[in-house]
Amino acid sequence: MALLVVKDVHTYYGKIHALKGLSLTVDEGEIVTLIGANGAGKTTTLRTISGVLKPRDGSVEFDNEDLASFRAHEIVYKGVSMVPEGRGIFSRLTVFENLDLGAYHRDDDDGIKQDFEKVYSLFPRLYERRKQVAGTLSGGEQQMLATGRALMARPRLMLMDEPSMGLAPILVESIFDTIHEINQEGTTILLVEQNAHMALQVAHRGYVLQTGEIVLHDSAESLRENEMVKKAYLGME
Amino acid sequence: MNIRDSIRSGLITFGLILFLNLLGLPRTFGSPTIILFTVIVGLLTLLFLRDRHDRKYDLPSSLLNGAIIGIVAGLMLSLVTFIFARMQADGIQVKNVFAQIFPEHTAALTGISADDVIAGVSVLPGLIKLTGLFMIAGILGGGATRLFTERTQAYRTQLATSSAARWLVLGLPFLFYALFLSLKIEGVDIGGSDENILGLIFIFIFIASALFAIRGANSGRERIVYSIGLIILILILPQLTDLFQNAILGAVAIFIVMGIGLNIVVGYAGLLDLGYVAFFGIGAYSYALLSAPKSYFLVNLPWFGGLTFWTGLPVALLMGVAAGVLLGIPVLRMRGDYLAIVTLGFGEIIRLLMLNLRDYTGGPGGVLNVPSPIVFGADLGNPKGILYLAMLFAIVVAFLTTRLRDSRLGRAWLALREDEDVAQAMGINLVSIKLMAFASGAGFAAVAGALYAARQVNIFPDNFTLLVSIDVLSLIIIGGMGSIEGAVLGSLALIGLPEILRSVNEYRIVAYGALLIIMMILRPEGLLPSARRQRELHSEDETVESASAAD
Ligand SMILES: Nc1ncnc2c1ncn2[C@@H]1O[C@H](COP(=O)(O)OP(=O)(O)OP(=O)(O)O)[C@@H](O)[C@H]1O
Ligand SMILES: [Mg+2]
Repeated sequence: MALLVVKDVHTYYGKIHALKGLSLTVDEGEIVTLIGANGAGKTTTLRTISGVLKPRDGSVEFDNEDLASFRAHEIVYKGVSMVPEGRGIFSRLTVFENLDLGAYHRDDDDGIKQDFEKVYSLFPRLYERRKQVAGTLSGGEQQMLATGRALMARPRLMLMDEPSMGLAPILVESIFDTIHEINQEGTTILLVEQNAHMALQVAHRGYVLQTGEIVLHDSAESLRENEMVKKAYLGME
Repeated sequence: MNIRDSIRSGLITFGLILFLNLLGLPRTFGSPTIILFTVIVGLLTLLFLRDRHDRKYDLPSSLLNGAIIGIVAGLMLSLVTFIFARMQADGIQVKNVFAQIFPEHTAALTGISADDVIAGVSVLPGLIKLTGLFMIAGILGGGATRLFTERTQAYRTQLATSSAARWLVLGLPFLFYALFLSLKIEGVDIGGSDENILGLIFIFIFIASALFAIRGANSGRERIVYSIGLIILILILPQLTDLFQNAILGAVAIFIVMGIGLNIVVGYAGLLDLGYVAFFGIGAYSYALLSAPKSYFLVNLPWFGGLTFWTGLPVALLMGVAAGVLLGIPVLRMRGDYLAIVTLGFGEIIRLLMLNLRDYTGGPGGVLNVPSPIVFGADLGNPKGILYLAMLFAIVVAFLTTRLRDSRLGRAWLALREDEDVAQAMGINLVSIKLMAFASGAGFAAVAGALYAARQVNIFPDNFTLLVSIDVLSLIIIGGMGSIEGAVLGSLALIGLPEILRSVNEYRIVAYGALLIIMMILRPEGLLPSARRQRELHSEDETVESASAAD
């Protein structure tokens, strides 16, 4: 069952044609990864889905509903939340306040409380630092915070933009473990990564993006074996 | 703090003093200027040395650095004064270039008479004395730094536990209150020529120290007890003060209301609004036009008898909120500098409308005979009544603002200030929270405006110039962004003090400028910032401190 359907989307930055007829689908319960080089349009894709950018052509459907007429914050209400590129935590607010903002649009106090507990048990480090100003967290902790904050929206679909960026290998591994765990608990994930190696291990399916177009799309296993992917994204000859 | 830093600080000090010189402070004040300058040098030294973060320096090096600051500032000023003196002795009219530099100016700084300056008597002894004075001031400032840092260290480590020091801080406000009261007692002479000015100064210090005491309270409950105590004392105050004092306190309180309102827009939501006076003006004119007997606006409606203050107030509030939303909509997409410029323009447009829509607003002639507020038959159209009303407004506005700040909306404003894009991705409706910020800030200003109209009785477009926006913005910057106590303190310092020191009034803008520059360099968070602001701007110090504390 397709949760997200992106159909022939064209997105522009002024005259720059960043997405040239991109299509992809994400099924309920899946982890789908979108890999591509710098400037391929990965972030642009996520921003188009989340409604921050509006496509000039094509459509984005979430749960069988066209998102064209909804503004970015309304799309969050529908169940799409984002872990932005570079984490985008509110560095001058505390950890607790950051998480609370993730649940900004919700008013089910009991549910929010439960989700706090869930996030804190997923990331005990965040609980220890809940009163600390987020800007003073380490890079890995900030990534946990950004992920936890996105979870606080109780999303059905979570968009993650390069969560492994700038982290030590050991932390990268634990981030991917967390992604797996979040998915196991029922959240669908669209994961943008340059670290194709790790992404293709955790994901079920993958898309390869090149200069605004999908050039390849297959199951994660097949992509891992694909010659072009091996050469261009896995650093193997 | 090394020698180079000291020289640099000395040059900055000199720059400020030169600025005051060129504006003619010495010529206006005569020889007391030297005392004023000496005090400035001492204070600046203290500030410069204190904020260098190096607590490891010992007393001698603090004294040495202070001396260097003083000598540099003194020598530079002497050099300039010497050049002026030579030119004046040669009959060159310096004042043709620098409008305020007369022989009297040189005379005030060197202690010889203006005639002697023109006659070419050597000014060197005077200049040496001046430099010496500055050096001593620098040394004293440097020494005071030591006291200061030792005291703050003690504060950090002990004050929380040492009850004596704490009681002193908490007791100070009462001391100043008592000093003020003692002025009222027949036969007690504290030695001020102008008793009511001295009384006001005691009141200001009383309120300021009470604010610091509230801030220093170590539990939420204690804070509430002191806040209530302060409010009660302040409510009694207008009974003890005279007309003149009440009038000044009334102006202070009206600006407190505006400061708290602008805090929402600038301090919480981070939207730089330079046209805040527009809403103040709209509030004032809304009430005035709908209530004044010869109002140009509604004179032709026979069935309309005019509003009273209490019916006019909600109208003013609504007009303010509507104007806030109206300004908000076109500027929603703007950020930073652009927003500042557009709001600046908006403020001027409103004033020009008041000035030019003669048929509706009365134009430059203003609106005359605005009725005063009546409560249970009592006419509050006197300084005491206005002061009470203004205090009531300030308390209500402060309460509402605190509630807003602690609500979800308040949190969203902070997120907006940090990163608009991410805030939106968190499901925050940027449009509505920006409009909420503009609207609530504007509403508070409009309420202040209506009260202002009642206070002034006659209002004119000239009451609503850009200067008012600058006043309000400066007072929240100096008092401390995002904090209600800060708005009170800022208003006392920037609205109350200049009213008292009438003779300095012309220099108000200069003083603002200098004060703002110094504050931005040394204490960017303001005097009494919100705890959050302080954390933001000093998080580095804190981590360093906690790291060293952990050692
Ligand atoms: N705000 C913008 N204005 C103009 N062009 C932009 C803007 N943002 C991105 N682009 C352009 O759009 C293209 C796609 O950018 P995008 O950020 O989506 O790449 P990406 O795949 O996320 O790259 P990276 O891996 O470096 O994050 C790039 O050519 C980029 O230069
Ligand atoms: Mg990107």
